[in-house]
Amino acid sequence: MERIKRLFLPKPITLSNGKVIQPKMSPAIYVVPILTFMTLYSIQLTGFKLATLFRRGYQFFVILDGMIPPNFAYFEKVWEPLLATIMMSILGTVIGSLLALPAAYISSENMMKSKFVKFITKAFLSVVRTFPILVLALLFRIIFGIGAFAGTMAIGIFTFTIMTKMFYELIDTADMGPFEALMSSGASRIQAFWVAIMPQLWGQYFSLVLYNFEMNIRNAAILGYVGAGGIGLILNERLGWRVYPDVGLILLVMMITVYMIESLSRTIRKKLL
Amino acid sequence: MIQFQNVVKTYPNGVQALKGVSLEVEQGDFVAIIGLSGAGKSTLLRSINQMHTITEGKLLVNGVDVSSLKGKELRRFRRDIGMVFQSFNLVKRTSVIKNVLAARVADMPLWMSLMGLYTKKNKIIALEALDQVGILEKAYTRADQLSGGQQQRVALARCLAQQPKIILADEPVASLDPVTSNQVMNDFVKINKELNITVIANMHHVDIALKFAKRVIGIKEGKIIFDGPSTKVNNQILKEIYGRELSDDELMEH
Repeated sequence: MERIKRLFLPKPITLSNGKVIQPKMSPAIYVVPILTFMTLYSIQLTGFKLATLFRRGYQFFVILDGMIPPNFAYFEKVWEPLLATIMMSILGTVIGSLLALPAAYISSENMMKSKFVKFITKAFLSVVRTFPILVLALLFRIIFGIGAFAGTMAIGIFTFTIMTKMFYELIDTADMGPFEALMSSGASRIQAFWVAIMPQLWGQYFSLVLYNFEMNIRNAAILGYVGAGGIGLILNERLGWRVYPDVGLILLVMMITVYMIESLSRTIRKKLL
Repeated sequence: MIQFQNVVKTYPNGVQALKGVSLEVEQGDFVAIIGLSGAGKSTLLRSINQMHTITEGKLLVNGVDVSSLKGKELRRFRRDIGMVFQSFNLVKRTSVIKNVLAARVADMPLWMSLMGLYTKKNKIIALEALDQVGILEKAYTRADQLSGGQQQRVALARCLAQQPKIILADEPVASLDPVTSNQVMNDFVKINKELNITVIANMHHVDIALKFAKRVIGIKEGKIIFDGPSTKVNNQILKEIYGRELSDDELMEH
């Protein structure tokens, strides 16, 4: 073993005064072979073929060409699912953010004294967080039926888990001085939290809410693919029928909507912080 | 009246902060506690309102055994004891009036405090407290816009809005400059005289303690080694409390 190791070791460097120093072995010696093997295996497993990429890749531009010009008359059919998508995101974000407040309180190190409660809530949240939003939507479609309600619930639960984690980390770093003052005045822990900790964090809280809302608009657009309502539903259908001018309009409208909401949200968030 | 009977406080890490402290403080007294950092000043102060629980001995406040109190009773008991801190402990991002109103929250039902609904009576109590410390006109300013001295006054107003019988002040002027320190200490003296509120203050600066307090308690390593009127404090006593002579620049005024 030692002999093999020595084979890969770089040559020792001798200084002019006779001192010898042994450079370390580069990690590339084992990292490169492992990465190469994994890449080759992935190519085989996924059926990735460069030939196909060259033979069929141009189709992308055919579709793109088909989308231009978009069919503006189709907007009549688009605005309703678009509105549903936005409303799903708003409602889901509101539900998730509201639920996140008490959940973050009981997950935070400085507010919650019971280690048991903290452990249970944090464990529960990490389990739920492992579900991608599409999986949640699939589950809720079975529970609540096809439509925007399932999508709203998926967004709500997804936002809840993310908001809770982001927000309890903020609570952990809040200034505890005012909290101590409130406790010494005879307030309960919840009252002290609400009056001494939350006023420090409202700006950051609403900024997080808006950030999640931005994310949810994009999420909501795709939820239609699993039957959870919104604009994804007609996008799936039009693509299936290969009516590219309609697809073009849907994508254009989505782009404009997401861009407008993101710029608006960014402007507000700058004011909040 | 506050009575310490052989009070011992041992922290979970084994540090013994109070080693058998006995003392009595009458209603309306103005007491300064002096001693080195780590001598137990802060622990002594915080055991009175049970922000720290004592491990041995008895601590009575107006006849009530403090360490027997729990939950609602403890919170009710704390209503009568206001507290002022070295770093003011204000919510800097909100207005002065909201900071003072926070002192009224403990008397309100939970839903009203969650909604932020303060009655007119509470608002008047808060505004009058601000008037007493002379910063009524700052009521709707954000707390972080004020100077250190003004912030400590807001903290004092918050304490007054609680309508306490006792005020515990933990190094109230240690982060203020000498002139502002004097002004804030004068506020304490005024409140002590006019409202007959007991004031117990941990003091970092000996000369300020001697100037404003009627009575001085010196503690060293968790034990009281001096307790008497401030006029009786001399260099010999200070040497015992601090373990060495204080140089002139450690006394801010002469």
